[in-house]
Amino acid sequence: MAVGISYVSVYDNHGIFRKNNSHLLEEIMRKQQDLLGVDGSKHNVEFLSNGSDKHQHHVVSCRPTVKVLSPDDGKQSIVQAAQQLCRSVENKERSSRDISVTMLDIMLRESKNVPDPELVVKFGPVDSTLGFLPWHIRLTEFISLPSHRNVSYEDLFGALQRYGACQQRLGQ
Amino acid sequence: MSWIREGELNLIEKISANVLKAGPMPKHVAFIMDGNRRFARKKNMGRQEGHMQGFNKLAETLRWCKHLNIPEVTVYAFSIENFKRTKDEVDGLMELAKQKFERLLEERDNLEKHGVCIRVLGDLNMLPLDLQQVIAKAVLTTRVHNKCFLNVCFSYTSRYEITNAVREMAWGVEQGLIKASDVSEPLLSECLYSNNSPNPDLLIRTSGEVRLSDFLLWQTSHSCLVFQSVLWPEYSFWNLCEAILQYQLNHKSIQKARDLHREHQASLQLEADRACVAEHLQHHGNGKPLDAQRRQEALLHYTACREERVQDFLESLKHKRDSYFNNLCSEAVLA
Repeated sequence: MAVGISYVSVYDNHGIFRKNNSHLLEEIMRKQQDLLGVDGSKHNVEFLSNGSDKHQHHVVSCRPTVKVLSPDDGKQSIVQAAQQLCRSVENKERSSRDISVTMLDIMLRESKNVPDPELVVKFGPVDSTLGFLPWHIRLTEFISLPSHRNVSYEDLFGALQRYGACQQRLGQ
Repeated sequence: MSWIREGELNLIEKISANVLKAGPMPKHVAFIMDGNRRFARKKNMGRQEGHMQGFNKLAETLRWCKHLNIPEVTVYAFSIENFKRTKDEVDGLMELAKQKFERLLEERDNLEKHGVCIRVLGDLNMLPLDLQQVIAKAVLTTRVHNKCFLNVCFSYTSRYEITNAVREMAWGVEQGLIKASDVSEPLLSECLYSNNSPNPDLLIRTSGEVRLSDFLLWQTSHSCLVFQSVLWPEYSFWNLCEAILQYQLNHKSIQKARDLHREHQASLQLEADRACVAEHLQHHGNGKPLDAQRRQEALLHYTACREERVQDFLESLKHKRDSYFNNLCSEAVLA
């Protein structure tokens, strides 16, 4: 929030964040109170945890957003979108030839409404995405920090600086 | 220069290889061979020369993989995004690819001797026809070889590959081969261009970039990712050993995560089958609830039918893909 990042998602491959998301929200609110005191309420975080969140047209909104993700938001979401498309083909509402990358992309955005992350900060020793949003991470930069325990502002800021140095050529 | 490099490892390399081989070894390694152009700038050579050096490094890497008993390698040779480059560079890369695949055909005896199977994955119909034809020949010539496998991703992005898989499943529904309810994660995997390969155990990207650039996003969800700063044409046997060591350090945790995912996937499938059976009984039953044994029988029967449907669909898909290559080859002969 301090550096102007408006959308943050959290993920773990056991789905623990998802199962305890109210606990997470409480913690965030408590920390905000501790750190910002009275001003805390001016910066209310928008907390999204299930798939059917209200439609957001702009990623950069006034309220910072925290989204909780689990493995089901990954491949399983793609499978669900595929099933939906196949059902509409079954009902003769469309032809298989109509199915395009753009169409699938729009469907995934409508169902889960998660923007492509520009940066993933990965905590822990495992060098893998462990099922995190396969479709959305095609251009995501990955920066690893050893642990989320006692992570400092300097650690995170360092990660952001490294992100800033990345140059994407986008195929060119 | 050739695709196949002969030659043993030197003594130190051999010893290191044996040390590594005492631990778990990846059976499938994927490479994002990044850094050819930066290498060319560094050495004051033209881009085309940089790409040639990149190809030579690929051949050398295959030799190392053979000595490390790594039977399958997948490489990202040309992304659909790369079509955005200047016409000169794109034409140069197409020409290089054509030369290399033609060279491959000249070496067919050597490829047979080493049992090398070459596959090319991507939206190949975006490529110039003459390149498609020579690729088809290379793929068909080496298709029965089974000692080691090289998958070249050319005119490829992961999103296009996943979309194509979804389109194929929709085609299967259109043809009446499968139902929409048969769509599942394993079925989608079977419809990817890479369906003949196990998922990569290890993905290596060179040149210091720390992103996946739309490469095998589905297949590498539970792979060990290693980002190395060395430029691809400067890649060494030691860089490869370092990556394999990372794989070994991650092996147990990643294996656990893979098992967890597989169990979850299996329970989702079971749940889906149960739901289909319940719906079927509702519509076709006589209103009386079935006892547990009958329900179980119905479930087993449904699962068996679904699996048979899916097998037939996958056979048809295979046949469709084979026809694409066969037609290209016969066109080339007639031309």
